Amino acid sequence: MMGAMTDERGTARVVVVGLASCFGCQLQVTNMERHLLDVLGQVDLRYWQLTSSDPMPEEFDVAVVEGAVTTDEAAETLRAVRATASTVIAIGACAVTGGIPGMAAPGFDERADAVYGERAPEACGALRAPAPVSSVIAVDHEVRCCPIDPLDFVDTLQRVLRGSNKALPTATLCGECKRNERGCFFGRERLCLGLVTRAGCGARCPDLGRPCNGCAGLSPDANVASARRVAARSNVDPARLDEALGLFNTVDPALAPEG
Amino acid sequence: MARTSISIDHVARIEGHGNIRLAIEDGQVTTCAVEVVEPARLFESMVVGRPFEEIPYIASRICGICSSSHVVTDLRAIEAALGVTVTDRTAALRELLVYGSFLQNHATHLFVFSAPDFLGHRSVFPLADENPALFDRALGMKALGNELCTAVGGRSVHPITAVVGGFTHEIDASEYRRLADAMDVMADFAVEAVDLFDGFEVPAIETAGDMLAMVAPGRYPVCDSDTARFVRAGYDFDCADVEDEVEEYPVGHSAAFLARARRTGSPYLTAALARVNASWANLSQRARYAAAKAGLRPPELNPFMNNLAQAVELVDVLDRCAALCRRLAEPDGFAGDSRPVAAEVRAGEGVGFTEAPRGALFHRLALDGEGRVTAANILTPTAQNVANLEADLRVLAEKLVGEGRSEAAIRLEAEKLVRAYDPCLSCSVH
Repeated sequence: MMGAMTDERGTARVVVVGLASCFGCQLQVTNMERHLLDVLGQVDLRYWQLTSSDPMPEEFDVAVVEGAVTTDEAAETLRAVRATASTVIAIGACAVTGGIPGMAAPGFDERADAVYGERAPEACGALRAPAPVSSVIAVDHEVRCCPIDPLDFVDTLQRVLRGSNKALPTATLCGECKRNERGCFFGRERLCLGLVTRAGCGARCPDLGRPCNGCAGLSPDANVASARRVAARSNVDPARLDEALGLFNTVDPALAPEG
Repeated sequence: MARTSISIDHVARIEGHGNIRLAIEDGQVTTCAVEVVEPARLFESMVVGRPFEEIPYIASRICGICSSSHVVTDLRAIEAALGVTVTDRTAALRELLVYGSFLQNHATHLFVFSAPDFLGHRSVFPLADENPALFDRALGMKALGNELCTAVGGRSVHPITAVVGGFTHEIDASEYRRLADAMDVMADFAVEAVDLFDGFEVPAIETAGDMLAMVAPGRYPVCDSDTARFVRAGYDFDCADVEDEVEEYPVGHSAAFLARARRTGSPYLTAALARVNASWANLSQRARYAAAKAGLRPPELNPFMNNLAQAVELVDVLDRCAALCRRLAEPDGFAGDSRPVAAEVRAGEGVGFTEAPRGALFHRLALDGEGRVTAANILTPTAQNVANLEADLRVLAEKLVGEGRSEAAIRLEAEKLVRAYDPCLSCSVH
């Protein structure tokens, strides 16, 4: 991957774009207070609605996108961003996998009717079933998890700015978790999605006594059929595994019913 | 005919997406709207059918900055439905978690969102060169909130360890003591923050609406009382009756439902300012003195004073957290431990109520016999505040038009008022 294109001074012009989300991943970027100026000092930050009144510029090099696509307007924004940006970074589960908003995708129209009574107000925009950024435009870099780890964002930004051929892990979380030596939830007859979820977070939740909820998304190496058998052997209903995967992976095509 | 239109799309330095629309004709404000332009997020629909253990984890994603509040509110709703009583230690840890989000939220709102308006900047970043001491301590305050949330909840956004009945992990005594010391170190700066915001000039307006806050006798409660008070009308209600007391209604220009008190028909404000008005006498001594010095005493009806009220709460929260942390470090500081108590699954319904950083937050959950959600209703602080904000914006615009202020001045003051409410528009559309 080449470094991002830059302005005449050699500084990448960066914009931050927020779609449907809790804003938590943008906050995580601000949540590295002690390093914030060092990180942002490397770039020419042109637009960030959360922190500055400066309007969206016409020219920029790197777009950081948080949130899921849930309206036609958001899709249009993304296409405009892609036409200008040389690099697009999707941050957080909403942008990368559709995340929690993706849970609403099945029967989306009926859900909107149920919450708003009849039809959703105009201020919602032209609603469409939630989907990840990559379903609308090509994404160059992903920062996974819900919320992102701020240092993962820094790492990704460094790779964008300096260029790198570092490959992110595709393995499942189990390997990382075993190195924490906390034992396995299945041994205690409890469901954990670490079996099929992408590694990279260091198994933070299991390390704190809570099973993995799959926020990094399904690992490309995951064997879901085998995970169902592990669950059944451990007195955990395999149907619960599929249900729990819906938290962050509802719109993952790899989990679509066969046929 | 003289007609001035002020339109601000995507007000900056707030959480979420909102527009301001003002039209002034011949000195009269003819249009005044705060448009909440968030796409529908449908959380109340998403949680239906899901097992109760997942609900706090899902609802947390309504809001990054007050994720702790959504989690604790849901835990209270579920525990009310299942008849679970938690230990004093667990209750103390939850209070700490909620206070952690107060520190995060108030520091972010005051210094990153609000202060640049008063210091003549478009963002907080120029402050790094202009006043590095203030910049460093402001971010240090925010970092301390993150540290507290991480220590108690496992990370700064979307806590991991808080589950039905207790916590899955706790830090050790030395870490509690270290946190308590860090709170003490930050306290002087919090008092200075009160002075700083006291020094910012704001338009003298009064809200006509009511104010809503959690109350408890002799205390300044945030997550362990079921009683809510309409401060100006002067009556209390139990959180289980929230839908009977608060009417939510749709308007076309907002993706959030708006709210008003059913008994009086009045819009209302719920925020730090409402809490300070409701429980001023129960602020920590240092916070009360700082408030008194700044002239913030009930009844304070100027919505711009919410900034000052948040600064006063920083002082109060640091004092409370230091005391809580020291007590948690003692072996017998609180009764019981924080390991989750067992919950027996049964059908039931419960309302969770907390004071989120931005005001009163209610979650109602109904569970079936298998512990799955059959219905959910969520009432966020900002959804409750938008109607009152609109009414106050009209009062402000009429005042400034009457004074013959320029369009640019009206625009800036309008944005400052919106920011003073510290809206979370993404929260309001859940």
